[in-house]
Parts: sequence; structure tokens; C-alpha cells
Amino acid sequence: MSSKARFPIDFFSYALKGGAQYYAWLGFLGIFILLWAVGTYAQLTQGMIITGLTDQTSWGLYLANFVFLVGVAAAAVTVVFPAYFYDQEDLHKVAVLGEMLAIAAVVMCLLFVFAHMGRPDRLWHIIPVIGIYNWPHSMLTWDVMVLTVYLILNLVGGFYYLYKKYTGSPLNKSFYIPLILISCIWALSIHTVTAFLIGTMPSRPMWFHSVMPIKFITTAFAAGPALIILCFLIIRKYTALVIPDSVFHKLSHYITWFLGMALFLIMSEIVVELYPSTEHSFGLQYLMFGLNGLNKLVPWFWTAIFLMVVSFGLLLSPLRKNFTVLPIICVMLFVGIWIDKGMGLLLPGMSPSPIGEITEYYPTWLEIFVVAGNYAIGFLVLTLLLKGAVGVVLGDVKYDQSK
Amino acid sequence: MNIFRHASVVFSGAILLALTGTAAYADNTDTKFVKECYESRIEGSPTTRRVIGEDGWPNVKCSPDTGGVLWWGDPYDGTVPMGDMPTPSGPLMQADYAVGEAVVKPRINNWVDRKKLFTICTEACHNDGYQKAPETKKPRLLKMHTDIVPNSLELQHGRGAIWCLDCHNANNRQTLVDNFGDEISFNQPQKLCGKCHGPILRDWRDGIHGKRIGDWRKEGKKRWWVCTECHNPHDVQQGDRNKGFAQLYAEPKPETPKGMPNTDHENVVHGPGH
Amino acid sequence: MSKPTKPKCEERKSTGTTRRDFLKKAGTAGAAAGAASVLGSAALMANTDNPDAQTTWAEWFQGNYRLMTDEEKKEAVARLEKRYSAQYGKNVTVDDTPAMDGVLFGYALNIQKCIGCRRCVKACVKENNQSRTNTEIEWIRVVRMEKGQFSAGDMDKGYPPEEGHEYGVQVGGNAYKPAGVVLEGKHYYEPEDNKVPEKDAFYFPIACMQCEKPPCVKVCPVRTTYREPDGIIVIDYNWCIGCRMCIGACPYWARRFNWGEPNLPAEDMNPKTHYLGNRPRMKGVAEKCTFCIQRSRHGRYTACVEVCPVGARKFGNLLDPESEVRKILDRKRVFRLKAELNTYPKFFYFID
Repeated sequence: MSSKARFPIDFFSYALKGGAQYYAWLGFLGIFILLWAVGTYAQLTQGMIITGLTDQTSWGLYLANFVFLVGVAAAAVTVVFPAYFYDQEDLHKVAVLGEMLAIAAVVMCLLFVFAHMGRPDRLWHIIPVIGIYNWPHSMLTWDVMVLTVYLILNLVGGFYYLYKKYTGSPLNKSFYIPLILISCIWALSIHTVTAFLIGTMPSRPMWFHSVMPIKFITTAFAAGPALIILCFLIIRKYTALVIPDSVFHKLSHYITWFLGMALFLIMSEIVVELYPSTEHSFGLQYLMFGLNGLNKLVPWFWTAIFLMVVSFGLLLSPLRKNFTVLPIICVMLFVGIWIDKGMGLLLPGMSPSPIGEITEYYPTWLEIFVVAGNYAIGFLVLTLLLKGAVGVVLGDVKYDQSK
Repeated sequence: MNIFRHASVVFSGAILLALTGTAAYADNTDTKFVKECYESRIEGSPTTRRVIGEDGWPNVKCSPDTGGVLWWGDPYDGTVPMGDMPTPSGPLMQADYAVGEAVVKPRINNWVDRKKLFTICTEACHNDGYQKAPETKKPRLLKMHTDIVPNSLELQHGRGAIWCLDCHNANNRQTLVDNFGDEISFNQPQKLCGKCHGPILRDWRDGIHGKRIGDWRKEGKKRWWVCTECHNPHDVQQGDRNKGFAQLYAEPKPETPKGMPNTDHENVVHGPGH
Repeated sequence: MSKPTKPKCEERKSTGTTRRDFLKKAGTAGAAAGAASVLGSAALMANTDNPDAQTTWAEWFQGNYRLMTDEEKKEAVARLEKRYSAQYGKNVTVDDTPAMDGVLFGYALNIQKCIGCRRCVKACVKENNQSRTNTEIEWIRVVRMEKGQFSAGDMDKGYPPEEGHEYGVQVGGNAYKPAGVVLEGKHYYEPEDNKVPEKDAFYFPIACMQCEKPPCVKVCPVRTTYREPDGIIVIDYNWCIGCRMCIGACPYWARRFNWGEPNLPAEDMNPKTHYLGNRPRMKGVAEKCTFCIQRSRHGRYTACVEVCPVGARKFGNLLDPESEVRKILDRKRVFRLKAELNTYPKFFYFID
């Protein structure tokens, strides 16, 4: 059989092999995927009424997680770009793993978009030629375009590298280097476009300011590498792949910078909004202090701030290089940014409504099943892709011409 | 005897119920709906819902919460032509009723009209008898109509500037009368009201004040609401409220958003240090 | 730290978990999910038990209304009439009258007169076939504004607090009390004795402003919501994908969404519908006020204008200088909501 045909077979059969712990992990994900199936079936048959969404809070958990995960997808840049354009040799070997993460994150984004649609059966309406694609006017069409192209770029780039490794042939640098350069720049664009998606609506004063795109990029480049560090630590522990300490030190160094910038932006947003305290700041006040006695988001916000500030402090200290503390820091800041950028951004934009109605959003269990299931599917994809990629990089997955 | 009386009452009640019940059930789209409602003023504009078209198309749809009319299936149902109305000339002074057909809901009953035949000499038909018409129009305390106007010397309209006979025609109770002594139909009170309320009349003629339903086009047929369909001329001030319009019942508030237990947060009073 | 040996097949077999087992489980889960989504898409189409009331594949495949040929439009209308008539047991007509020439619809609302009775809200529902329960959709929202009160007793309650404020009071004690048109209007007001207007309040009904530069049209990724030549912003309900960008973008919160299948009782259903207006919607699509397009394109006033018991609502052709709306713009003091957002609404508020 040709190498092209054998590659996916070898790749995935390697990815599906593992020890008991590995299968336990996959089984754990499988539980959530079953719950996802329950929730998705209910949503497809009954409609979005099974969620806690209302006309007042018309964007909720699905879009919040979408916004967050687009950032995580963009963060592959932090591994790929320094590897190739700053000649960081140690990052070279693991750059492809970053691309795998990007693929998994984009898959999760697409799942959340699908869950968010009221009529997923009509999604063909957005395809050009057979439907109507309102580009360039609608920001959502830009988002669809950049996400699709980014997925393709990472699939092509990542699997091209892996395939060449698999067959033991040299990379065609004049094809590969421009490709990953484009994908690095494109990574910035996916998150900028998503920020424009919510930031170009004057009906939502909480989002309608120019800090939004840069805040998105900085939080993305803090949260994404945190997840990458965690993945690399697991790979280091459970596989034979040697990842030098310097990779982790570099990534945590980047995280420190970006987290610091993100915290600065949060601080400036708070000062600029709360100092004059106009009606436009009510969304932020709802998030930080509650409005009219409605304050379900307040503990979430302050938890997020606490997590981000404490992790920033720890990152500035020598504990950044401590491999016991580093994963804790990464989990803390990942969760903190997930709160702040996910529901801590979407929900206050919905309350108060454009004509001043303050409401609270109560997600339902089915909705949470779908969210958890989407993450489970994404992590399943991530696990399989990383396992396979590690196999290729290690040489365990190699094209055997005799077969 | 008692038994018979009770039995007959029950029996006739049962027949009545059966008849009305049958009538109601004969048109099964009607049983769930409120049948008696009012168009604007609670006492001044009653109307009854009935089916006038196919698939149960009604003449009006009434609110089950307040009894107010919410919707007209036929905007011209039960109307009569507005009649002769002055159309002043000049730019932007032209009234729509000069261009398009104008109808109103009649304000007086037919049975009153027929009695007009019996006006004799200086005595006018009034309340099934004959009354001598008063000699002057000077205000005096009246013993009758106290349910409409409790104190004729303190008419809640005009603050002492007018009283009953400034509008009601003492010589012909079926009409109103203006300052020139000309009769004005109850169907065209605007000719009288507009004598004092000039700017309102001009806005009403242009469709800015008041209410019209029907066809929005200039030449379209419209049903016009006349003054007394909305304003009660006997009690314009509405006591302490000092408005020209009585209070109406409000329709129910919107549904509480999903998940929220109630909307009490709206009633929170802000304090300093917000 | 040495490289591990080849896969420990023997060890794995002894624990009883093999790749095959896992694949089986994954396969069933995947198949279940796959079947679920296919079933779900089919379920998205099913309506009631009557076969004529089902959404057909032809309807699912239909294109965007604006791009249809006249033939296709007639087919689409016929399909819908058949389906709605079967569903509601009435002779439902779906009109497709285009815009009248020389007409640009405009609206004027006299906030001096509005008494907050909410009859406009309910009349609109009677006319336009919204879902009544789960969820209850109302296109008009009446907001109650405070007339505002200032009290001498609160004068010294400001910030900084009274004792020793050498630099003067920055926030007066009478701050934070709503007065006039503010964002903190009340939506769920229940008047005393249920009688309106209340003494210390005035009312502000809000619905689609039919903007000349609508943010909702700009953000729609499939151009299902668009501006018709007579100025009405409409939605092709069969083309909407339910992404809810428009609901987020509207600065007036004028758009609503059918979260589930609408609950419209057949006996209260209005059978005279327009394709772009009050025809019964389906789950997963957006909807909003269409200036009663089924009525206004045939010359009739909108339902809200007709019901208003105080005559606060006025409607007509902005291009006709004799219409009451133009006369209001000419003579009265008119403003628009959120004018700074440059949406250019055709819904004006005025005082008298």
C-alpha cells in the first residue's frame, strides 16, 4: 500500500494504543461524549429552548466557550513562530504538537458554533454559490472564513510535517516555511476577527471599545501556551519524547509577558469604565459588583481575577521554573482566563440589554452536557492527534515499505 | 306556591342557558373568547364580538384581561358616514375627510331619533314627557342628572366657564348646540368642541390628535374617533388627576425571563454610593 | 529515562482492556451520536401528525426569497399555504405583495400621550401570530420611566459623606434616582389597581425602528434580513440560520427569537398572512415587527396604531407631505432613540 494510504492507518492505530490509564482517560472522555449526544439530540429535536438562553441573554455558554477557544487555537503561534523564525531549536521538535493543539481547538470552536445555531440544518445557506455569503459586510462571514482557512493551514502544515517524518523524507522548505509563516499570521487574524465580531456592535457598550482585540490576543497567548505546557508535561511523563526544560521556560516566559499585558488591559478597562461610571459601564458593574441585587456573576469574576493575579505573581517569582508549581500555575491561569474571557465577557454584555433590562442567565443541565461534551470531543481529538504526532516524531510510526 | 316559583325560575333559567349555550356552541370559535368589550372609554364605547367572516374571522378581538378591544377585523363595522364637515382651504389645511371616505360610530340611538317627531311649540320631548325649555342659559343648580354631573354649578369641564346648556340644546335634546345657536349632531361633536379647542381640532383634522383606523392613504377610507368617544365631557378634569382622559386598565406585563424567579430587582431603589 | 520497550501486549491483555474493546465502545458512541444528529435534523423538520402539515424537503431546499423567480415565489407561497392551512385548520393565505411605489413607511409615537396600557403589545400579538407560551414573544416592549423626584432630605446623603468634605460634594444625594428617559426604565411594571397612566410615570414603547442604516442587516451572514424598498426591514424566515447576530447587534432590542417550536393556538391565529410578515414562524428563526406588512402594503393601518386608545401612534407614508407622519415631522418636536449610533430610524418620538 502506498505511504499516503498507510499514513492515516498507522497514525491512528498508534494513537489508539495505550496503557490502562490511557484508556481510562479515553473512557472518561467517552462519558461526557455520551452526555453530549443526549444534549445535542434534545437540542436538535426541541430547539434551543432546552438551554437557558432568552431573548435578553441570546448569547450564552456556547458562544462564550467559542470565543475562549478561538484564542487557544491562535496560541499555537507561540510555539511555531519562535521555533522557525527565531531559530529556537528546542521548540523545533515540538512545534508540530502546537499545530495539533490548534486543530483540536478549532474543532471545538466549530462544535460550539454548531451548537449555537438555531437552525443547524440550514447552515448550507452560508456557503457561497449555493447559498448567500454576506462577505465583506457581515463580520461572522469573516470569522467563518478565517477559521476554516486556519484549520486547513494547520491540517496541511501539521500533517505535511508528520508525513515527511513518517516517510523519512526531507521537508520542502520552500513550501513549508511560507505555509507556517502564513498560518502564524493567520492565527493573529482569527482572534482579531472574533474580537471584531463582538467589538463592532455599539448596541453592546461592554464590548464596544478598541481594547477588545488586543485584550483577546493577550489573554489568548497566555491561556493557550498554558494548555500547551500542560500537554507537554503529560507527554514528557507518559511518552518517550524528550522535551527539554528550556521549552517550558520559554513558554512560561511568554505567558508571563502576555498575562501581564492582559492584566494591564483589564485594569485599564476597569479604570476607564468605572471612573466616570456612565450608563455604558453597567455591564461591567453587573459583572464586578452586581446590579439591583442580581449578582450571580460576581463570585466568578473575583475568582478569575484572583487566579490570574496569583498566577502572574507566581510567574514573576522563581517558582515559574519549578516543575511542581508550574502545572498548578497553568491550570489556575487557564481557568481564570476561561472565566474572564468566556462568560465573564459574554454575559455582562447581555445584561443590561440595549434598552436597559437587567436579567440573569441560568444555563440548563442539557446545555452544560453539550458544553462539557464539546470539550470532551475536543480533548479526544487532541489526545489522539498528540499521541499520533508523538509517535511520528519519536519514529515509532514509520512507513514500513514491506507491509 | 314557593315550589312552583322556584321551579319555574329554574326551568326558564335552564331553557335560557340552553338557548344561549346552544347559540354560543353553534359557533365554536367564540366560546373561548370574551364577547363584551369597550373600544376606548370604559362606559362610553361598548362593542360585542361576533363572527363576520370565514374561519371565525371576528369583527373585534377583545382582551380577556381588561375587556378592551385589541383588534378590528372590520374597521368599518357598525359605522355611519361622518357627514358634512368644514374643509378649510389653504396649504396643509386640507382634511383627509375631504379626500377619502370618513365614517364614525354613531353616538345616538335610533329610538331617540324617532321621538324627534313629537317636538311641539316651546315644549320639547325630554325623557318620555314634555318639559318647558328654560328661558335663559344662566347656570343654576339642577336636581336631575346628578349621576352624570353631581353639581351642575361645578361642572368638571372649563372650570366655571361653561355649564350644561352651553353644549346641550335645551330646545332639542337630541342635538348639541353651539354658540351661534346652530344644532350639532352627537355624531359630530368636533364641530362644537373645536370652537374652544382650536389647536386640538386642527391636529385632529390632520390625524395627529385622536384616533383613526382603516386606510392610511390620503384618499383611504377611515373610521374617525370623535371627541366624546375618548373624552368624557362631563368629567374632563378627572378629580385630582387633572387630565383630559380617564385611566384605563393596563394589560399584563411580559413573561418573566426564563430562569429568573421574579422581576423584583426592578423595584430596587438606588441609594447613594452606588 | 530510557526509551520504553515495545507495546506491552501481554500486560494489556491481562487487564482485559483491549484496543478492540475501546474501539467498539467508541464506535457505538460515535454511531449513536451520528444517528442522533441525523435523526435530529429530520426531527427539526417534523411538525404535527397531519402529513400536509409537515415541512417538505422542497421547502427545506428553497432559496432566498429575494433571489427567487416569480415562479419559485408562487411555489413557495403555495407550499406554505398548504402547510399552514393543514396545521391550523383554517384557510390560511400567504400574501407576497411587493412594496408599493412611492411609499416609504414612517412612524411617530407621541410620548406625551402614551398611557402605558400595553394594548399595542397585545394587539400586535393578535395580528402577527407570535408564540403565546414557552416562549411568549411580544414585539413591542413598553418601558416605564420615572418622572423624577428630588428631595431636600437626601441633600446631605451624597459622597463624600457629610462630615468634613473640604473639597466639596462630588456626588449629590439626589443622584442615582431615575428621572426622564433613562436606561433604568421598568419593563415589568404593575400599576396600582392596574390603572394607567400612573401619577409619577410616563411610558416609552419600543419596537423595531425600521432603521435606514440597520445594524441587524449588516451583520446577517446569509442576508436573510434585509431592507425592502418601502423601508420595512424584513426577514425571510425560511432562510434564517438562527445565528442570532442580529439580536445582538440591534441597539433597540427589537428582535426576538423562536427558541422552541412556537405555540400558536389555532383559534386565535390570524389566517391573513404575508410571506415576510406575520406568517407563522418555526423554531430557530428570528422575528420582529414588520410594520404589519400584510396590512400596510394593502393600505391598512398597523394593528398597534389602530388599537392605541389615546391615539399616540401615527403611521403613514413619509414621502407624502399630506400624511399625518409628515405633518408631525413638520410641526412637532421630534427625536429618535440612540441617534448617536447613526442608525437613522424611521420611528420617531414626539411630544405635543
